[in-house]
Amino acid sequence: MMLFDRKFAIAGRIVREVRRDRRSVAMIIGAPIIVMSLIGFSFQDQKSVLNQVAPALIATMAMFFVFVLTAISFLRERSQGTLERLLSTAVTRSDLLVGYLAGFLLFALIQSIIILMYTLFVVDVDYAGKIWDIVLILLMVTVTSVSMGIFVSTFAKNEFQVVQFIPLILAPQIFLSGVILPTSQLPGYFQAVSGVLPLTYANRALRDIMLRGASLSDVLPEIGVLALFAIGMLVAAAATVRRT
Amino acid sequence: MPDMILIMASSARPIKHTDCNNKVELEQVNDSVIGKGPAISISGLEFAFGKRPVLTGIDLVIPRGVAFGILGANGAGKTTLVRLLIGRLKPSAGTALIFGQNPGPALAESVGYMPQLNALYEALTVQENLDFFARMLGLSDAKQRVRAVERAIELVDLADRADSVISELSGGMRQRVSLGAALIHKPELLLLDEPTVGLDPELRNMFWQHFKEMTRSGTTILISSHTMDDAAHCDTLGFMRGGKFIATGTPDELRQSTGKPDSTLEDAFLHLSQKSVASA
Repeated sequence: MMLFDRKFAIAGRIVREVRRDRRSVAMIIGAPIIVMSLIGFSFQDQKSVLNQVAPALIATMAMFFVFVLTAISFLRERSQGTLERLLSTAVTRSDLLVGYLAGFLLFALIQSIIILMYTLFVVDVDYAGKIWDIVLILLMVTVTSVSMGIFVSTFAKNEFQVVQFIPLILAPQIFLSGVILPTSQLPGYFQAVSGVLPLTYANRALRDIMLRGASLSDVLPEIGVLALFAIGMLVAAAATVRRT
Repeated sequence: MPDMILIMASSARPIKHTDCNNKVELEQVNDSVIGKGPAISISGLEFAFGKRPVLTGIDLVIPRGVAFGILGANGAGKTTLVRLLIGRLKPSAGTALIFGQNPGPALAESVGYMPQLNALYEALTVQENLDFFARMLGLSDAKQRVRAVERAIELVDLADRADSVISELSGGMRQRVSLGAALIHKPELLLLDEPTVGLDPELRNMFWQHFKEMTRSGTTILISSHTMDDAAHCDTLGFMRGGKFIATGTPDELRQSTGKPDSTLEDAFLHLSQKSVASA
């Protein structure tokens, strides 16, 4: 029990902090709905384009919001001295990482389900696969994104600097992972770059599941690569999590 | 060689047990961890940020059950020394031991730390902050923790604000919560980095009453400060300048070092500081 107590406490604290910030809660729920409405209703007469873009957009949103939330809250831990205080206790790297992951996974899960349901049933995007398969892929994106947020926050001294990382980290993923243009139509050097972006594999897996009705076993290679990204980012986050 | 008045404070006083079950348990755990030697022993300690030396040749032994004050101007190295003692920095040379061990998580239950910044969660209440830090400090039993939180709230006199979120509190109240978080697990050693900065005289007095009660019951307190008001309350003082101690002793002994009657601690600090510059 002792082994998990600190992890539970950190996750619980994060949930409580975010929940108390009502404007943030409204943004977590409202912003993706607004963006999906904007895109969805703009492409209403071009259903095939919308169907093609929707899976990638769902993954991008899951990555974007969780990355921003984690990077900023972890930066606050560092800049307000709470991380230093935490590290003077018996807290371990795994307490911090698991606690943060669990705390943000809850919001990511809620957000992903809201985005997904809204996209499928309100914007009326066609889908063929199982909803929980889609949620699983989104959760893998979230784990990568939380770890990336912790890792990136190490390199920022203030919230302004963290915001500068958003286009730097997310723009290449949006442009090069197949959200806008299929990766096969990108120049050769950008195709190479797209091969090292987690969103590329999330997009592929989600398109296969949503458009072609693929099962998880059909997208195992993508799941494997996403798992490697998640583990890699967790290792990077673990290496820097104690820096204050 | 700068003036060095090395005074060892009186030997450790026995720890008084209280009626709180939590305390007894913690002491049983701590006894096995912290042994019987001095609370802090520092030998030949050096530390540099890159090529810039911050601490040079620090030797210091602080027995148990005393309040030891580190006095010095801003940038003298006080916070760096405290951060070395909580294990957040590693010495470039020499050793800094707490209860005979290298600082680190194994000692977390025996050491309380109050950082210079209040370091609290603004969106959480006083009670929630204290409960959270208690869990981080190893108080996993919910009943024990409730008692520990209640006691800490009472100690820092914030019972009427227990349910207020930190962002609604004044600076002084936040300092009190921060102190409560540092001593919630009844540590044997309390490391306080400028705990009284920005406090009004009444609050400062209240803090010192707590500190004195704690040293009477055997807790060792190391407090860094740049105000002479704090210095007068300490059992033993170390004056720091340019990353080293220029003198250590009781407040009276340091006052006498000027050779003038009616000298204040400020006079003593300036006198010893000038002397150390002249001899450098």
